[in-house]
Amino acid sequence: MMSMTLRRILHGLGLLIVLCFTLFPFYWMVSSSFKDQTDLLASPPVWFFTPTLSNYTDIFADEKVSGAIVNSLVVATLTTALSVILGAPAAYALARFNFRGKSDLWFWFISNRMISPIVLALPVYVLALQLKLLDTHLVLILIYLTFNLPIVVWICTDQFRSIPIELEQAARLDGADQFTIFRKIYVPLGLPGIAVSAIFSFIFSWNELLYALVLTRRNVQTAPVIATSFMSGYELPWGKIMATGTVIVLPVTIFALLVSKHMVRGLTMGATK
Amino acid sequence: MSFLRLDNVVKRYGEHSAVQGVSFSAEKGEFVVFVGPSGCGKSTLLRMIAGLEEISDGDVLIDEKIVTHVEPARREVAMVFQSYALYPHMSVFENLAFGLRMVKTKEDEIKRRVAEAARILQIEMLLERKPRQLSGGQRQRVAIGRAIVRNPKLFLFDEPLSNLDAELRTQMRVEIAKLHRALGVTMVYVTHDQIEAMTLADRIVVLRAGLVEQVGTPTELYDNPANIFVAGFIGSPKMNFIPAVVTGAADRQLTVSCPAFAGGTLTVATKRQHQVKPGDTVTVGMRPEHLELQSATPVLSLKADFAEYLGGASQIYALPEGAPMMTIVVPGRPAIARNDTLPIGIAPQHIYLFDSQGLGI
Repeated sequence: MMSMTLRRILHGLGLLIVLCFTLFPFYWMVSSSFKDQTDLLASPPVWFFTPTLSNYTDIFADEKVSGAIVNSLVVATLTTALSVILGAPAAYALARFNFRGKSDLWFWFISNRMISPIVLALPVYVLALQLKLLDTHLVLILIYLTFNLPIVVWICTDQFRSIPIELEQAARLDGADQFTIFRKIYVPLGLPGIAVSAIFSFIFSWNELLYALVLTRRNVQTAPVIATSFMSGYELPWGKIMATGTVIVLPVTIFALLVSKHMVRGLTMGATK
Repeated sequence: MSFLRLDNVVKRYGEHSAVQGVSFSAEKGEFVVFVGPSGCGKSTLLRMIAGLEEISDGDVLIDEKIVTHVEPARREVAMVFQSYALYPHMSVFENLAFGLRMVKTKEDEIKRRVAEAARILQIEMLLERKPRQLSGGQRQRVAIGRAIVRNPKLFLFDEPLSNLDAELRTQMRVEIAKLHRALGVTMVYVTHDQIEAMTLADRIVVLRAGLVEQVGTPTELYDNPANIFVAGFIGSPKMNFIPAVVTGAADRQLTVSCPAFAGGTLTVATKRQHQVKPGDTVTVGMRPEHLELQSATPVLSLKADFAEYLGGASQIYALPEGAPMMTIVVPGRPAIARNDTLPIGIAPQHIYLFDSQGLGI
């Protein structure tokens, strides 16, 4: 009995440590965004301070920041829409048709996610340069698609497989063509999976920094790029960086918290029948 | 002129053949039941008629048109699935209307036909509900309704009652029979339940391992089973089988011996010409309901093991010498104790004989 209680306490303690470890940077970012430069650079760091909104007024006065947020929105929204429009039918095909090379194709989709993005950064940069696509929304959308499509295909295939095949057969007997079956049966019934994969796509595209940094210049810099661009050689305006970071992270965090129930359901989909 | 014809149809999955050359035809308005143990290919055959399963060889003809390679929807067949396969995100009305919408039926016409089907199946008050809000029996009605609204040439049922409890199953069985009478459409029904087959069918097709064992009316199959498999499959409880050796063979008559027989031997008239010689082994078949207790002219001498009293009738299990346990069904509740010797009689026309290949003789 005693050992049960002890185990629970230790379990809770372990969770608390992990939670602190993961949440502390987030806390530090948010709290720093309300500090003035003196408090920010104080050593040892200050834990109690008079909060100020000056960093926020600064960044919102800066057209670069609002422009970057618009860029991020455009890129993330279009990427998400394209990922779902292209990925869901592909997932349907993988879930329900037998064709040559199906398992290879499936593995190819998954293996796309295994490659470290940094490995491809230089070749992609050279490609974009040659195609004159540098500093365009298109190049970001295309490169994000390569990361998001596998996720969409992966989650949706699993979801579509869990839909009883008799429904498709009944619809075929009812006279529905392949596309109608997909639209009227698979999309509505697979909506939780489609929604979850869309959320993942959006969050990934919204947060992505590496490719946005490599492939953009002035015109289509996204929000994460702007946040880091404050770091010039001569000054480190931590307040502005932290405030921008908070502005970037907050919407997706709220969004993710709202849909977390569906996300867990989507991730465990197909695990149990 | 047959309405549905299967012409030597074959279904192969790689090396394995699920259906190995089935030929069969059904008349317009006929109720045909495919029956057989699980894995006999009956569902595969039904799905081949529906067009949901590709046909490896042979042809399917509906209304004198070859439909072997025709899309399911264009075969004008409707199917009721074992799992009902109702669209879970649509209301009952939308489930019924789906097929009509697919062929661009006018909205007024859709409403009229859905209302008509709902009236026939008494589901008018369920039209706004979603399938998950329905009971098993109600779902079954909706599934049948979805088939009715489209006015198909041919109805296909794939074990439609197997998910229902016993009482509901009996009730729905009667309703399906009534529906067939009311619509007068050709129906093909798949089941592994021989009671459903016997009660519903105009004709039964008994299948085993992808082959047709026998086709006939329920009474034909019951009275004249072609082989030992059909004899054992049709009838409940199952026919009793007694292995015996032929001691005397004449034209249309055999004398067989087994310790279970009263006097050791039994002389039986054969139903067909036979090639059996003395010394051959045969199987003697007797249906439990044809056996009589306390017979004045006993054919069998058995030792009682135990009795089950079912109310109006009793099932008595008894052990013959040199044969497996036998079942006897008798009316009333005879007092029987364990190890009682039972003199069992049977009318000669109710004795079946099967040769060593299992074929009826």
